[in-house]
Amino acid sequence: MKKKEPRWLEVLRVTMPLCLSYVPIGMAAGVLLHAAGFNTLMVVLISLFVFSGGAQFMIASMLTVNASMPTILVMLFFLELRYALLGSSLSQYLRGTKKSFLFGFALSLNDENYAVNYLKFATDKSWKPMDAWMVEHYSLAFWTVANMIGSLIGSLITINLEIVDYALTALFIYMVVMQFKNKLTVLISLISGVAAIFFMSLFKSTMGLVAATLMASLIGFAIEDYLVKHGKAKGFLLSKIKPRASRLKTISKKSETESEG
Amino acid sequence: MAMSSMDHFILIILSMAVAFIPRYIPLRIFATRQIPEWFNEWMKYVPVSLFTALVVKDVFMNSAKFTFVGFYNVAKILASLIVIAVAYRTRSMGLSVVLGLIAVALLSLVVTV
Repeated sequence: MKKKEPRWLEVLRVTMPLCLSYVPIGMAAGVLLHAAGFNTLMVVLISLFVFSGGAQFMIASMLTVNASMPTILVMLFFLELRYALLGSSLSQYLRGTKKSFLFGFALSLNDENYAVNYLKFATDKSWKPMDAWMVEHYSLAFWTVANMIGSLIGSLITINLEIVDYALTALFIYMVVMQFKNKLTVLISLISGVAAIFFMSLFKSTMGLVAATLMASLIGFAIEDYLVKHGKAKGFLLSKIKPRASRLKTISKKSETESEG
Repeated sequence: MAMSSMDHFILIILSMAVAFIPRYIPLRIFATRQIPEWFNEWMKYVPVSLFTALVVKDVFMNSAKFTFVGFYNVAKILASLIVIAVAYRTRSMGLSVVLGLIAVALLSLVVTV
């Protein structure tokens, strides 16, 4: 009887939790972009074209401190660089699709719809590239409307921006916690935090973030490489952290089944 | 020096290009080729490093002067601990953000943000 449900509705049902969680975050982003001087049309355009919570919050906060356009774009590039990883890990499921499809798919890819799609591709054999495309565009629609509402609310009432701004920090903390796969990632997170304070105090600019990111990620890469080559792949630092009800379970592929066996 | 809507539009288009390139190029290349191992290994540590640095900037730094403020932002520090716990237990993005906002709003009534 469930088979009779049209595919678009079925996919919408899968995407709904994600869409709903976009509402408060999108509204917060809209409020902040409005405070940074964006009008509602620009808020809608940036939501459609850039479609990244992190990027939109960052643009808003950098505009309020009068950062220059090149600085904003460099920071943005580093912030969006992580999509290279997401894109490459999804690419195996999108073989044989048209170039125009890939183009539209890349344009609307972001962290959260990636997580939904990766999980579905990895666990559900009937999941097609077109379904993944729908997930992306449903989430894009909710995101854009939430941003628009946020920017309208921002023009109607005054809101304590310091508090709304914390939505981004909470979002990033959530994403950091989602990255904690073993003790090494926790260590790298601490190294990056200390390095960020050091380099930002030194450079007096957000370039300190770039320096900290490069340094900490390379240290992580080097330590893992060293541990794996010295036969410590199952030691203290690289053993898995597994919270209950982990949605990452199916995402972390073969290595997991190996270490469990 | 406030930007005009035209400046905003230019910023949006350039941001779109900057956001699009890292999303599209690997998708295009690796739809037909294997991903080099070292690239994957390195990329694994980029998000965690960047996100932590951004969190630290908001919680422990003065964003205008780029000075370390230590434990001055008590509300944000306490709210962050709550968000970590909520994110770890529920793995829900929406819940983490909403509870984090509520926590920081309530805490700001009693301690410094």
